[in-house]
Amino acid sequence: MGDVVLGVGVIMGAAVYLYADANLPALQNGGPMGPQAFPALIGIGLLVSGLLLFGETWRRRRAAAVAVPADPIERQSRRILAAMTAWTALYYFAFERAGYVVATVVYMFALLAFFNRGRWWVNAACAAGFTLAAYLLFTAFLQVALPRGILDF
Amino acid sequence: MLASWQGILHGLGIALLPASLLYTLAGVFIGTMISHLPGIGPSAGIALLLPVTFGMDPAPALMMLAGIYYGCMYGGAVTAILINTPGDAAAVMTVLDGYPLARKGRAGAALAIAAVSSFIAGTLGVTALTFVAMPLAEFALKFGPPEYFALMLFALTTVSTLTGDSLAKGMISVFLGLAISTIGIDLQSGRPRFTMGVPELQQGVTFLVVVVGLFALSEVGRMVEDTLRGTLQIVRVRGRVWFTREEWRRAFPAILRGTGVGFFCGAAPGLGGTISAMLAYVAEKRVSRHPEEFGQGAIEGVAAPEAAVNADTCGAFVHLLALGIPASGSTAVIMGAFIMYGIQPGPMLFQTHPDLVWGLIASMYVGNLMLLVLNLPLVGLFARILYVPPGILLVIILGIASVGVYSFEGSVFNLYIALLFGVVGYVFRKLDIPKAPLIFGVILGGRIEQSFRQSLTLSGGDPRILVGSPLAAGLLALAAVMVVLSFWAKRKAAATLARGEAGADRTA
Repeated sequence: MGDVVLGVGVIMGAAVYLYADANLPALQNGGPMGPQAFPALIGIGLLVSGLLLFGETWRRRRAAAVAVPADPIERQSRRILAAMTAWTALYYFAFERAGYVVATVVYMFALLAFFNRGRWWVNAACAAGFTLAAYLLFTAFLQVALPRGILDF
Repeated sequence: MLASWQGILHGLGIALLPASLLYTLAGVFIGTMISHLPGIGPSAGIALLLPVTFGMDPAPALMMLAGIYYGCMYGGAVTAILINTPGDAAAVMTVLDGYPLARKGRAGAALAIAAVSSFIAGTLGVTALTFVAMPLAEFALKFGPPEYFALMLFALTTVSTLTGDSLAKGMISVFLGLAISTIGIDLQSGRPRFTMGVPELQQGVTFLVVVVGLFALSEVGRMVEDTLRGTLQIVRVRGRVWFTREEWRRAFPAILRGTGVGFFCGAAPGLGGTISAMLAYVAEKRVSRHPEEFGQGAIEGVAAPEAAVNADTCGAFVHLLALGIPASGSTAVIMGAFIMYGIQPGPMLFQTHPDLVWGLIASMYVGNLMLLVLNLPLVGLFARILYVPPGILLVIILGIASVGVYSFEGSVFNLYIALLFGVVGYVFRKLDIPKAPLIFGVILGGRIEQSFRQSLTLSGGDPRILVGSPLAAGLLALAAVMVVLSFWAKRKAAATLARGEAGADRTA
């Protein structure tokens, strides 16, 4: 099932890519074939790959139709990963607004509270220790400015 | 030959400077540590550390990144032997005999053989690299745009046909990588392509961001699953970390054979350490007088793949340094580092940056020696990393990846892109799509398009120039043969599976 969805997705993606390529403005200064030729080859390659995947899936289905039982851990991990992705996106949203130190301590502490349950002091020390060490490494040693956010005083 | 001697002696002078020694030590130390984290391979390790090296002097930075790479390969055997889980994909064959040896109480011998095999193979591999890379670079100076186009197409074909179980998925991965490389302002016409009106995309998708997302962030998914599945069975190292005379007598020829297999596999683009280890293991089992012991704890089953993996690392550098073509996912990431520092790897490298290239090669001799020390007396100390709860490790990986990506250009947009590629990497793993072809596509996309367009400009738009020279035609023919062979081999595998299923049904 996954491969069929992948094949459909690839073919649709390739069609969108080829459409976008065809709508690029035609230019005289991009070489004999312009900036559209190479992406057109890539789009065709993606289309062929998607069709080839359908062929492979069909052959495999003929070869073995073994139903794989759903793994409960897999389902649970998917839910956790979806929540982690949303939490990470929120962290990135707050990265400059709240500042690196505040955003990172809160982000890491919340994750540690989930994955390393019950060890509040260890988790707090890990979150704060990592954040401060990284902040010092990047700002003092590597001369990279990290956002101060609400601590900018 | 004489130039190579002069080069390596000059390089040793650079590699033995205190700063070079320090960065090489840091690289091999970090590589060894990373190799003890199951699931985090060299590509993810280099990707995580890449942003930290930005702004550093390129020579020591590259010595450190290369050190992480071969340090990872060196230490991948430890988790394979002690917890039945390869530290990186290439150590997968070491599991087969390393873990049974550990269960029999020979963990110390297996670890020692793995370390000594890695040292011998690494040293022989760097020696071969020293004397092969420069003549190959001189030969490659004769390449024009059509030859380069054919060579890169061959590399992309090899990596997409040989990685993973599906030709279609390898192709999807490589074409997706090439498509990503076309995002941004076209250098010849100055017009933006596929930017969807997003100003941040005009500079293109940063390679480092793709690598960190695809390799480092996506690995967090695997670690979450490991955490949920419970703890791993760890065999403790007891007694001396050394082997008996009989074990050495059996292992030594296997090391030499594994080194040969590994170096040649490494020098072929796209094969990578996992395939070298598999080939070395299979070859060793064929020539062994005790094939029945393989899988039950044969010392040759540890020695040959470990030697192959480490020699493969050196072979991969031949391509990278002499031709500017990566040979594996990890060398693609290192090539990205070269480009990030404004250095184009390839045949001109030996002329434009002799200090850097010879210093880097010489640092590998030194790094191998350091790794022998780290992996023999200190192996017990490093094994303690295995006891760090994975829940803490995965959060730290997220922290390092995020600050690293942000620090590269000071852009939150890059963080979102890295997160997107983290999700893509997770989906790739779930759907068995190989990641290395995508990285190859991203890293080579710009250059392959440039060669394609330069060739057509030279010929006034006549595509026959792409097969005009015997070398270019030969490479393109080889690429076509690779696709046909891969298609045929996978079709045959499916037919065999069908026959097996039919047989099983009849038996039932």
